[in-house]
Amino acid sequence: MELANTINLFNSVNLAAIEVGEHFYWEIGKYKIHGQVFLSSWFVIGVLLIASFVATRNVQRIPTGFQNFMEYVLDFLRGLAKEQIGEKEYRPWVPFIGTLFLFIFVSNWAGALIPWKLIEIPEGELSAPTVDINTTVAFALLTSLAYFYAGISKKGLGYFADYAQPSPIMVPFRAIEDFTRPLSLSFRLFGNILADELAVGVLVLLVPLIVPLPLMVLGLFTSAIQALIFATLAASYIGEAMETHGGEHHD
Amino acid sequence: MTQCILLAAETAEGGLFDINATLPLMAIQFLLLATILNILFYKPLGKAIDDRANYVQGQLDQAKKQKQEAIALAQKYEQELKEVRKQSQGIIATAQSEAQKIVSDQVQQAQQEVIVERQKASDQIEAERVAALSSLEQEVTTLTRQILEKVVGLEFVK
Repeated sequence: MELANTINLFNSVNLAAIEVGEHFYWEIGKYKIHGQVFLSSWFVIGVLLIASFVATRNVQRIPTGFQNFMEYVLDFLRGLAKEQIGEKEYRPWVPFIGTLFLFIFVSNWAGALIPWKLIEIPEGELSAPTVDINTTVAFALLTSLAYFYAGISKKGLGYFADYAQPSPIMVPFRAIEDFTRPLSLSFRLFGNILADELAVGVLVLLVPLIVPLPLMVLGLFTSAIQALIFATLAASYIGEAMETHGGEHHD
Repeated sequence: MTQCILLAAETAEGGLFDINATLPLMAIQFLLLATILNILFYKPLGKAIDDRANYVQGQLDQAKKQKQEAIALAQKYEQELKEVRKQSQGIIATAQSEAQKIVSDQVQQAQQEVIVERQKASDQIEAERVAALSSLEQEVTTLTRQILEKVVGLEFVK
């Protein structure tokens, strides 16, 4: 009896309700969009903008406090882009790769650390924007466009001639690769973050206190790794698209 | 408990793979964010990092240049010091030789003076001896005359 009461209590607080595939729809004209994704993404964007603003409000030659931290972050992002794209070409790609990493990282961590579920919205529930496949597919498609753009701007239409390298047999494989890359990028991120949220959710539902903590910590780790993987792969694809046959880059 | 897990993947609307206008809007939103972050974050902080790297490199180059200058200056001073030391040694040697010369000159002069004085003294002695001898001779003559006068008489003495 007592146990049933406890379960009822938890259910009434709605700490652990898991709703997958339920969305809070907004309608713009005849199009429908997922409101909860935008709400949480605006939070993420807000965090990033505020952090950037605070860090660059008064840029000092000898950095202190938050400027120091954000410079460390920027150094990390530059390193990420430089390692994959190469010393010569990486600079214009830092905003794209960096924003990918920062957005995904802050989204994932916000999803894991902020008790979104306590904020009630009419339908569905708030969570990390990366739990929605629209977000991850959008990022993956942007990455695809980015590396097509990088390849074509570097080599013109000769970029597609590279598909036949080293032998024309490669053409179908390379063409398939162009579809599988965005697919794998989007599904890896979507699947990992959704699975993590589900696993934590189910565990919280079963044993609400303390027991889910290790899994949540692991979730934070996974979240960070997923952001790193997405950004690294995006940079690597862009770098690969710009790579010339001599293979002189990656220094 | 299971009723809390609502898997709506099968419903007509919604579901896990409900791809709709969220996708392009999210892409546009992302590109906007990247642009704004570029203006607000990547550019200013990137510039700050690059400027600092340049500044440090500049300071390092300047320090290197100054060190080289200092080394060159030290070498120059050392060279000058060596020359001055050589000069001073020369001056000392000259002074010493001059002093030696003066000393030897003076010694020589003194010796000469001594010789002259000795000569003078010996001349004087000689003159006095001659004078004494002549006076003695005269005395002897006088005495002899007196003796002769006494002995033989005055008329035989001439």
